[in-house]
Amino acid sequence: MRSLLDAVSYLREYDKLANIGEIARRYFAMNAFDGVLTIIGVLMGNFMAGVQEPRIVVSTGLATCVAMGVSGLWGAYLTEAAERKRDLNELSRYTLTDLNQTRIGRASRAAVVVVAVVDGLSPFMAAMIVLTPFFFAPIFPSIQMVYFVSLGMALVTLFALGLFLGRVSQGNLLVYGLKTIFAGVISIGISFLLGEWR
Amino acid sequence: MANIRRLVLDTLKPHEPGIIEMAEELGDIVGIIAVNISIYELDRKVENAKITIEGENVPYIQVVKVIEEMGGSIHSVDEVVAGKKIIDDAATLLD
Repeated sequence: MRSLLDAVSYLREYDKLANIGEIARRYFAMNAFDGVLTIIGVLMGNFMAGVQEPRIVVSTGLATCVAMGVSGLWGAYLTEAAERKRDLNELSRYTLTDLNQTRIGRASRAAVVVVAVVDGLSPFMAAMIVLTPFFFAPIFPSIQMVYFVSLGMALVTLFALGLFLGRVSQGNLLVYGLKTIFAGVISIGISFLLGEWR
Repeated sequence: MANIRRLVLDTLKPHEPGIIEMAEELGDIVGIIAVNISIYELDRKVENAKITIEGENVPYIQVVKVIEEMGGSIHSVDEVVAGKKIIDDAATLLD
């Protein structure tokens, strides 16, 4: 318990030094948004191809979720580590000291880990939320209903993300929610038209 | 050996951690009674700070450790007072 409180205390301090909160919020919203829209693409692709077997949708969906998670985690880790190292080296040149073993160095390394974890987990979990109905497909009357419920959950997730962004920006929550839902509707609409056109 | 009672340091530090956190950490060191930090030059990424420390027995090594841990570097020790009491530098005709 004590070490958990210490960890929270350190994270608060590192947040002040390395601006972790702001960056993590940004990556969370951006990548969760990506995750939901990507899985909408997978669902619409399966739907328009006439896939009736939930197992196939779950397999392709899970593989996509894992790929997004790994991409987010790895990409963010490498990018953030490179940027932070550059910033730290530049600051070291200004202060004429090696800052790696100082509070600033530790905050920098903590920021890299936090951002990478957020970047990896947010698209994975957002996509998994949308995919959940397919794990319970047997309780639905038809496979079409499962698709509709999944797409409905995708739109609700997008709306929730919009509310989150609205809260962060202290703007109109409803407006932000509608903006994010609109992206989902566009994605579904275009995928449907492409499927019909084919 | 005589106790150090006052130290005046010329330091260079990044903007964060700020001087409030630095003063709090230095003030927590055993043997230090008071800390005064003033910024006399501000750059884009760093700031120059004059740190004045007084106490019954100022532990110089620990002071250096705290300053360096917070990303600062000591450019020079501008004044030191050691002994049984604090005295200021004596005025001379040259002054």
